[in-house]
Amino acid sequence: METFGIWLAALLTIGIISFLYKDNVLYKACESIFVGISAGYWFITYYWDNLYRKFYLGVTDMDNPHRFFLWIAFALGVMMLTRLIGKIGWLSRWPLAFIVGATAGLYMMTYFVSNAFVQVGATIKLPPDFGSVGSYISFGMIALGTFSGLVYFFFSKEHKGVFGGTAKLGIWFLMVTFGASFGYTVMSRMSLMLGRLDFLFGEWLGMIN
Amino acid sequence: MKKQIPILITATVGTVLVLSVFFPPAKMLGEDFSLFFDIIAVFAFFLGGGNLVRVHFIKVYRRKSDWVYSVVTLVGFTMMLASGLFKLGGPPGISGSVTADGSYLNTMFIHIIAPLSSTMYALLAFFVASASYRAFRAKNREATILLIAAFVILLGRTPLGMMATGWVWESLSIFQIPNLAVWVMNVPNLAGQRSILIGVGLGVVAMSLRLILGMDRTYLGGDND
Amino acid sequence: MLNRVLLLCLALVWTVSVSVTAQDVAEGGIDTLSLPLPAPAQNVVAANHVYDDGEVIDVNWDKSPDDPENILGYIVYRAETDGAFDSIRTLLPGETFFSDDNVEDEIPYKYQIGVIGENGVSLSGESELAVATWELFNFGMWNTFLWMFVFCGSVIGFIISAKSGRKLYIRKIGGLEALEEAVGRATEMGRPILFIPGILDMDDVQTLAAITILGKVARVVADYDSKIRMPVSRSLVLTAARETIKESYTSAGRPDGYNEDMVQYVTDEQFGYVAAVNGIMVREKPATCLYLGAFFAESLILAETGNSIGAIQIAGTARPGQLPFFVAACDYTLIGEELFAASAYLSEDPKQLGSLKGQDVGKVIAMFGLLVGTAAMTLSVAWQVPATQWILDLMNNLFTTN
Repeated sequence: METFGIWLAALLTIGIISFLYKDNVLYKACESIFVGISAGYWFITYYWDNLYRKFYLGVTDMDNPHRFFLWIAFALGVMMLTRLIGKIGWLSRWPLAFIVGATAGLYMMTYFVSNAFVQVGATIKLPPDFGSVGSYISFGMIALGTFSGLVYFFFSKEHKGVFGGTAKLGIWFLMVTFGASFGYTVMSRMSLMLGRLDFLFGEWLGMIN
Repeated sequence: MKKQIPILITATVGTVLVLSVFFPPAKMLGEDFSLFFDIIAVFAFFLGGGNLVRVHFIKVYRRKSDWVYSVVTLVGFTMMLASGLFKLGGPPGISGSVTADGSYLNTMFIHIIAPLSSTMYALLAFFVASASYRAFRAKNREATILLIAAFVILLGRTPLGMMATGWVWESLSIFQIPNLAVWVMNVPNLAGQRSILIGVGLGVVAMSLRLILGMDRTYLGGDND
Repeated sequence: MLNRVLLLCLALVWTVSVSVTAQDVAEGGIDTLSLPLPAPAQNVVAANHVYDDGEVIDVNWDKSPDDPENILGYIVYRAETDGAFDSIRTLLPGETFFSDDNVEDEIPYKYQIGVIGENGVSLSGESELAVATWELFNFGMWNTFLWMFVFCGSVIGFIISAKSGRKLYIRKIGGLEALEEAVGRATEMGRPILFIPGILDMDDVQTLAAITILGKVARVVADYDSKIRMPVSRSLVLTAARETIKESYTSAGRPDGYNEDMVQYVTDEQFGYVAAVNGIMVREKPATCLYLGAFFAESLILAETGNSIGAIQIAGTARPGQLPFFVAACDYTLIGEELFAASAYLSEDPKQLGSLKGQDVGKVIAMFGLLVGTAAMTLSVAWQVPATQWILDLMNNLFTTN
């Protein structure tokens, strides 16, 4: 079974890599297997984890203070299925409206605090090494970069004149950020491919130890 | 009416959750939402899974091009459902873990899903190379800045960076590539990240407000059905 | 370093095994160990954690005079009014604070701190009894409340102002201006438009943003009588996307043009979804690819495949880590905030455009905070101008979360 598993994994690996050359029969087969198997896997995970563990065990636990709420969630879930019944299909909008409202409400505060608020606060905090000339330059650059980046995102004024120049500076800072993320990621992506090659040539073909 | 009630639901739920942040006893509402969401998501999956089966079944039934692959998808999907719902190969009983060692579900995950996933992920090595090449060919100032920053960080994380600039005098050590890489990460990169994050924070609030106020409601569909 | 860690582990094992003895020491005050113990921690204070829902007690203490040279860590002991002390947490040297979030409200607890030395544990005196209570309003978040009030107020204010007919100027956003052109190109070529709403579910704001943009894109698609193709990785997104596209076709006066198969569920699995979308791209060769929403590692795989088929590509995400890949591989990229502003911008509805003006007020506040805060910091710390200290304190109070 173990040998069969390794062979299967190796063929699937080659099938996916072959996409780099062009779309082909092997890739299509791998893609279809991947879609079917993984969709089934996720459904089963949801089923046992959410419907059985979170809902069923939740409502049958008499000490659970949230039992009543779980039934509301269940009712909203059932409403989702009314989409399949033409005449009352509009009821499926209720759970959707609930989810959209809850996501908007929940993240409105979370993002406001953790992104907008905290980032402004962090920029005007005293850095630990404040005092040296280098630290002044770094501190000033962080403030300048953040400020000019915000100017770039400004919607109410056209990017012209001094304002446009500041926005341009903001774009440059953003480009450094993107470049830094890009450079930071390249190495780790290479190691992923090395991992797969190691599997093919080591575990499967036994050519490397 | 069919649209008014959902708008009211969005507005009420959204407002309550915004205010719950300021009222400690209501803190658990956020946690309850995630539970609600998980349960609704299972029911939604009946629609998603149903759509998957329908699309591929029609393809097979009408003998559309590449219909054979749809058969593969349908067989794979059914196999996983059977293995998982009946907990084939795993510990018996309703409380036994569906992903326990030896269960068919787990075996298929290890030998099929895991290698397929990691290989798709690994394709990034090639795509990073082609994207870098494209960025290299772009001849404008922004692309050049992006490339220089990427190059500094890339070199700074390898021994080559130190080998190339290790000779620089101690007083100018900031210009040694590994030190420069750290500075780029901690200063201009941080500034750029912060401006993006602040903008995102404000953007999320404004968009959420538009949704809660019912100004943007296309997701609720039309009135006539 | 390694030795210290090993010693700490040994000490922990030892601590557990002699905890009973240690409690005897605490109760009876008799030192049963003949070797010298580290000096105990002092001034143990336990108090209710303010502005919470009654689940936390904060414990503070003064460090042992032997910290850090001669101690291996601290142990926090807890007891109910007349109960015995139990060890509840072990902490590293240097710690002087512990938040106990495993308490029941309205029950009084007392605390004691043990200092772990190489030869045993020395115990502090007991704290006063403390009770975790809940508060109705979190006054610690007054500044968040203030800014939220100002910001939401300005968004709503501009919406009302736009509603009353006032003209509001919004600059052109390149990526969004290109959207209509991209849809037109697809129509001319007779090829579909591929819309990818990210890989997260409807409980993510980026997906919500994607769905709101979809409404506007689908409207243009319906107007041009073009085709839209939308594989999704979440079932709830499937439902929301269908409703959205249907509404767009209806409002464009072409309800018959809508077809449920425009949106198709693929799989929840991240790379399974990517494999299928790649397949769709190379086989159906869409003329335009739109990637709007929450993306992770798949961003570059999708964008590079889209590039290989010569599609016009417009992307947008709020994830800074994925933006560089979109910038490198796509024709236009909506960066962070632009993604959330897109639906309002595309709607051309004055009320929604008003909300973008409100967003700018938020940016002005942030820029003001940055300018005044950094100037006050420089004057106060670098040039020691005492008069600016209060400004710095004020700015820190205004922009520090509790």
